[in-house]
Amino acid sequence: MYQKKEDYQAWICDKCQQELELSKVKVHYLEGEFEVELLNCPTCHQVFVNESLALGKMLEVEQGLEDK
Amino acid sequence: MNLDKLLETGDRCIFLEPPTCTAHCPVHLEIIAFISEIEKGDFQKAYKLMEKKIPFHRIIGRICDHPCESFCVRQEAGGTISISELEKAVLEYGAAKPKKVWPVPKKKGKIAVVGSGLSGLTAAVDLDKKGYEIVLYEKSERLGGRLWEHVGESLQEETLLEELKQVKDKGIHIQFGQTIDEQRLSDLGAEYDAVYLGSGEWHQHLEIDPITFQVGQANLFAGGKLVTQSDSVIFSASSGRRAALSIERFLSKVSLTDSREREGVFETPLKQDVSATTALPRLEKRGAVYSREEAAAEAKRCIKCQCRKCIDGCNHLRKYDMSPYAYIRQINHSERIILGTHYANKMINSCTECGLCEEECFLDISMKDVIQETRESMVERNKMPVSAHDFALKDMAFSNSEQFSLVRRQPSKEASKDLFYYPLISFSDYVKGLYNGTGKTEFLFYPGCQLPASYPDDVKSIYEYLVGHMKGDVGIYLGCCGAPADWAGRQDLMGENIAAIKKVWEEMERPVFILACSSCIRIFEKYLPEIKIQSLWDIYIEKGLPNKNWIKTPQTLSIHDACATRENRELQENIRKIAESLGYTIDELSYSKEKTKCCGYGGLVYYANREQADGFVAERIEESPHDLLVYCTMCKDLFVSGGKRTYHILDLLYPKENEDGAVRKMPTFSERHQNRSRVKRLLRKEIWNEEVDEAAADDYELVIPETVQKEMENRYILLENIQAVLKNAESSRKRFYNPQNGDYLACLKIEHVTFWVQYAREAEKFLIRNVYSHRMEIVEE
Repeated sequence: MYQKKEDYQAWICDKCQQELELSKVKVHYLEGEFEVELLNCPTCHQVFVNESLALGKMLEVEQGLEDK
Repeated sequence: MNLDKLLETGDRCIFLEPPTCTAHCPVHLEIIAFISEIEKGDFQKAYKLMEKKIPFHRIIGRICDHPCESFCVRQEAGGTISISELEKAVLEYGAAKPKKVWPVPKKKGKIAVVGSGLSGLTAAVDLDKKGYEIVLYEKSERLGGRLWEHVGESLQEETLLEELKQVKDKGIHIQFGQTIDEQRLSDLGAEYDAVYLGSGEWHQHLEIDPITFQVGQANLFAGGKLVTQSDSVIFSASSGRRAALSIERFLSKVSLTDSREREGVFETPLKQDVSATTALPRLEKRGAVYSREEAAAEAKRCIKCQCRKCIDGCNHLRKYDMSPYAYIRQINHSERIILGTHYANKMINSCTECGLCEEECFLDISMKDVIQETRESMVERNKMPVSAHDFALKDMAFSNSEQFSLVRRQPSKEASKDLFYYPLISFSDYVKGLYNGTGKTEFLFYPGCQLPASYPDDVKSIYEYLVGHMKGDVGIYLGCCGAPADWAGRQDLMGENIAAIKKVWEEMERPVFILACSSCIRIFEKYLPEIKIQSLWDIYIEKGLPNKNWIKTPQTLSIHDACATRENRELQENIRKIAESLGYTIDELSYSKEKTKCCGYGGLVYYANREQADGFVAERIEESPHDLLVYCTMCKDLFVSGGKRTYHILDLLYPKENEDGAVRKMPTFSERHQNRSRVKRLLRKEIWNEEVDEAAADDYELVIPETVQKEMENRYILLENIQAVLKNAESSRKRFYNPQNGDYLACLKIEHVTFWVQYAREAEKFLIRNVYSHRMEIVEE
């Protein structure tokens, strides 16, 4: 799972009016726990998940975990 | 789950069983493969198949007494396939030099073979190939025995000599002029590790075991005419081969009897039904042998016997290319996995559980029962993928929530007195029904969750009809019967649901439930057998149709029976009676009534594997050029979405002016919720005169382009989800902003699913740009 900062440079955190940065974020589903680098607001840490990530790699991992 | 019982069920499936011709061939030539190659014109491959299974194929292929032909099922459809003539043609056109085989060192033992007739030669060559040293004792001065009697039109002397020479060329020791008597036989038994007796005749009676070909308990084995008691060429060769197998087992000191049931001829469980096959006569050869074209034409007549009845009727089995035998093996494997990926999950959740396979199977193998048990087992062991059924179960929860759920007795006579005036009381059956109210609920109308979702405007009309026509008070009960829980293997939720329904039934003093949905009927029969039920559609036949509107122009319809009605012939017939009484002509589909197919909604396949559901729809709507008639709202909605003109029986019973019911659009998931709530509010207001709050007014005004609406349906996202995300975003400002176009992107986790909405503001309106979701949870700092 990964995002490229350049692809999503247009988006900023509305609450903090800050540009997003890539940093390690914890995600989990069922028994799987991962640490991935995702774009998020450096101030409030709101995580940005775009469509292709959600419906692509995330979905793939979710289904893989469901079939374990 | 009892996996041994599961495997037993799978083993009953005859998909892999051989056809009767191969089963009755003493050497089990792979006849279907053989004929398929001829049909393709590949005589070389067909030749190789003969070489593989038939000893001395160049001889037997020309003189075989072909017991296979008398069993060929094509005899009931024009005439048996001329397998023996096809073999002669293959020898003519497909012959190839035999592959050079390096002789195996002869170290395993010494065997004496008495008699060089066909059985003796077969035994000798087979054992020689396996590494035994063979000494052949022949009475006369030449090999072949009675094979020489077959030299003639089919078998040339030259061919016979070539084949016999090959025996010598293998290095098998041959002693001519050797007459073996009882004493010599005994000596051979002492001198050799084993003896094969294929002399054709013996002066005393020998006790030869029919399965092992052993004589007594010694190292003596017999075959050929001594065993077959006939002149059959092929049985002679086969006996030699089988006795050789016994000798090998004997010398290897392993069981002589284990697993030999199918070594000789046997009855195959595969019974091919040829009743629907057009009779075509046998092709007669015009020359000594079939020409290539004649051979291919005769080969084409072969039915290629295989039981595909369940597969032929089921889109799911075909999509996954599974016979019940293979499917059950997959499930068995999946159930036994401790550590590893359960690849079969999606497949198991793609079966509609419609029961057609069991109906078609003459052995009554029911994948429906297997799948149901498997899903329950998966849930028990915590192995059921949550995403498969989550949305459907949430939809069920909605239907059981106060947003839809409702129980009411018929409005009392006292409460209805404002309606008891002329002319209403004379002309309205409904008002008459209220007037005759007793206060004891005899009937409870239970329309289910989907009929109110798809036909919200008809629920009131139906209820009024029932009040006006049933003898006794009619109450109403809105909710979900639990079919989604049953299909999802969730016996826990099923238990709760059933308890709730039973409670209402007891509180209402055990009325008869009037059901409109055949899936509800199936659930009630399975889980609530104590509750008496009646089908709404049977009542229309019994009490008369609400509108006597005979159609003006003749129309032919094909009826798609809901798969849940498979065993309910009475209901199926009543639907036909309703249609015919309105003037429609029925053109029956081939898979109809007890052989009906599922539309794709069954088993929650519509949610677990949309592509599979689409496959069911696409296949079904191609089966008739006429408009379809259904009596389940999900069948209707799925077929209309697939582009097929489809009427629901309600479209015929309660036609709407200026509306073509056959193209009525399917409600979205969100509209289903809204319609159900609307039905509850409408009934409460207009039947029970209750004060009702209108729909929530604090929702935002959304503008959703059609493309996004389609994504909502494909991604199982509801308007209420979007509203919740927006509310949270607007109040907390926890969202992302794109200064370039003014779009916002916000999310909200609702019951383990995180929904994302991209939107823009235009005054009071929210323009929805995109929606998506995921289940993976982000750990918030």
